Amino acid sequence: MADHTPSRDGEPQPIGAQLIIPIAAIIFTLYYFWTIVDAPWTAQVSAFFVGCILLILCAIFLVRQALAVRHGRANLGIGDLVTHADVRSGRLAIFVLTVLYIVVIQWTGFAITTFVFLFLSIAILTRGHRLGLVGLVSFCMVIAGYLLFIVAFDVRIPHGPFEVLMQKVF
Amino acid sequence: MGEIATFGHLFLESLSYWWVIIPSVLLGMVVGALPGFSAANTIIVLLPLTLAMPVEVGLIFMIAIYCSSHMGAGIPAILVNIPGTAGAAATPLDGYPMAKQGRGQQALAISFIASCLGGLLTTVMALFAMPLLGQVGYYMHSVELIVVMLFGISLIATIAAGDTLKGLIAGFLGLMIGAIGSDYVYATPRATFGFLELYDGVPVIPVLVGLFAVSEAFLIMDQTSIVSEENQATIRHGTWAATFEGMHIALTRWWHIVWTSIIGLVVGVIPGAGASIACFVAYQQSRSFSKTPELYTTGHPEGLIAPEAANNGVTSGTLVPLLTLGIPGGETAAIMLIVLQYHGVNFGPTLFQLHPEIGYGVFTAMTVTYLMMLATALPIARYMSHVTMVPIAYLAPLIVSFTLLGAFVPRQYMFDMGLAVIFGVIGYLARKTGYHVAAILIGVILGPLLEQYFLRALKESNGDIMVLFSSTLGNVLWVALIISLLMPTLLAKWRADTAGVALAGK
Repeated sequence: MADHTPSRDGEPQPIGAQLIIPIAAIIFTLYYFWTIVDAPWTAQVSAFFVGCILLILCAIFLVRQALAVRHGRANLGIGDLVTHADVRSGRLAIFVLTVLYIVVIQWTGFAITTFVFLFLSIAILTRGHRLGLVGLVSFCMVIAGYLLFIVAFDVRIPHGPFEVLMQKVF
Repeated sequence: MGEIATFGHLFLESLSYWWVIIPSVLLGMVVGALPGFSAANTIIVLLPLTLAMPVEVGLIFMIAIYCSSHMGAGIPAILVNIPGTAGAAATPLDGYPMAKQGRGQQALAISFIASCLGGLLTTVMALFAMPLLGQVGYYMHSVELIVVMLFGISLIATIAAGDTLKGLIAGFLGLMIGAIGSDYVYATPRATFGFLELYDGVPVIPVLVGLFAVSEAFLIMDQTSIVSEENQATIRHGTWAATFEGMHIALTRWWHIVWTSIIGLVVGVIPGAGASIACFVAYQQSRSFSKTPELYTTGHPEGLIAPEAANNGVTSGTLVPLLTLGIPGGETAAIMLIVLQYHGVNFGPTLFQLHPEIGYGVFTAMTVTYLMMLATALPIARYMSHVTMVPIAYLAPLIVSFTLLGAFVPRQYMFDMGLAVIFGVIGYLARKTGYHVAAILIGVILGPLLEQYFLRALKESNGDIMVLFSSTLGNVLWVALIISLLMPTLLAKWRADTAGVALAGK
């Protein structure tokens, strides 16, 4: 069952973050319903069946949380979902790098993009210590990945200047 | 007597192909451990090679990859909390806590024993009970399969999440996400956000990568390593003793391996259910009948044995409908069907009359594969466990970049890498706020299947929704579903009352 017992010092528990998934689920379900409102019944029936159950479950959850807030057992704070630690630990910076990684890889290819991503990410997480080792590890990992993905499994991963050069050499 | 002699002969013949089985087992373990590289994908990539091989060599090659990939999927699930496939989604529940306690080597040994013995036992059982098991498919119609799927979701909701309501929300959200894409009859696009890439539905691998790998990598970024300094010393100075201890723990729970692998076998025979449901059914049953249910999810060996034995029990189960009816029970079985048809072998009731060496040979090859898997995997458990000592600063970026490529591999759409990042964010939020990601994943997998069976049931009943309660077996399953939802609450209340009475007695 839900744990809404106040913390030991009597403070109400922050439950705001727990509402994100149900609220997102409600928005998504309503969007889904909107896209099938004029569709044939074959496209609607299963979605309405599952979607209505989901909406009922979310409603029960929201009522339960609202009662917990009303009785002073909880408040709408988001707890430790987003804190300064996310910036300090480098989590936020690496998230930005990840987004850049998937945007850029289609032009620069697997090897170069992965090397840059690994080097920068590891450098951020190690606070810039022993950059030579970081560079060596990143290089070795890219070569291992190249051998595994392209040479061993013949996977068509995004090609860039390095992959084109390798194709010409071998 | 004659049959036993035939099995013995086929067993020895399978054994003589050790030179195919051992490399295939190693390859299968690698592809099972890498999200995006399923056994089916690998066999497809190597199809030209498989087709060129003699039929028996090609079959043994495919079977060895198939069986070992099921076990391989549990390795990253235990060591870094990232299941290689959805069939290992229940493995981290107790496997990862063991690894965090510095017992990774022991956990791997337990997992290998449970997987191999579970697979071995169910293979032998399937061999003898094939005519009976082949009938299971006949009793499972659309209605029963709908209840089985909702049953699967409700089980995961009660197992994986601390709060059943949150588990159900996660599971049904997964079902809705799984229903994204064109409808089956008129191809009407539904909830695709305008992306053409979603017209075929949401691909499972990017969802798996995002929910498990990307979110886990971002969660652990503020730690220095998966295991504490103290536990690192244990791993560093580790000996073979931990492997033997793990083997001993698993072998003393042999009965647990037996009945949880039988769950896998039976679930595997049901079309569409597969390892992803079997592992949770086995886990839930294991916890329900345990004398120490409170130890589950804290690193309890039985919580690791149950899903691993079950997901390997599935391997022989999914082959039963293929061999007896000619209906492939999964992706890999479908590829086997294609390869053998290419060689002029047809599956179905006539297989055992026309090609008994192939029909029975499948199971003897599986038996030999499981024996060789045991011999191959156990010695390397000690070295694999060192992965947990790799500093997070190096491990997390590696997980992110390589698993994102895994998301790209099956369809080769750049879009799928973006999808994996989006599901990574959803997974991160879900984990931080107590919604279990396994429930979302299983929902996404079952969403399209549920819709297919739902439409079929309604079509057969001319749109009467009461068809869902029209079959005896279906109604039994509905009751089991309701019991499974109520049981945790009732059991907790009963235990609290019993404890209260005991205290009052003192």
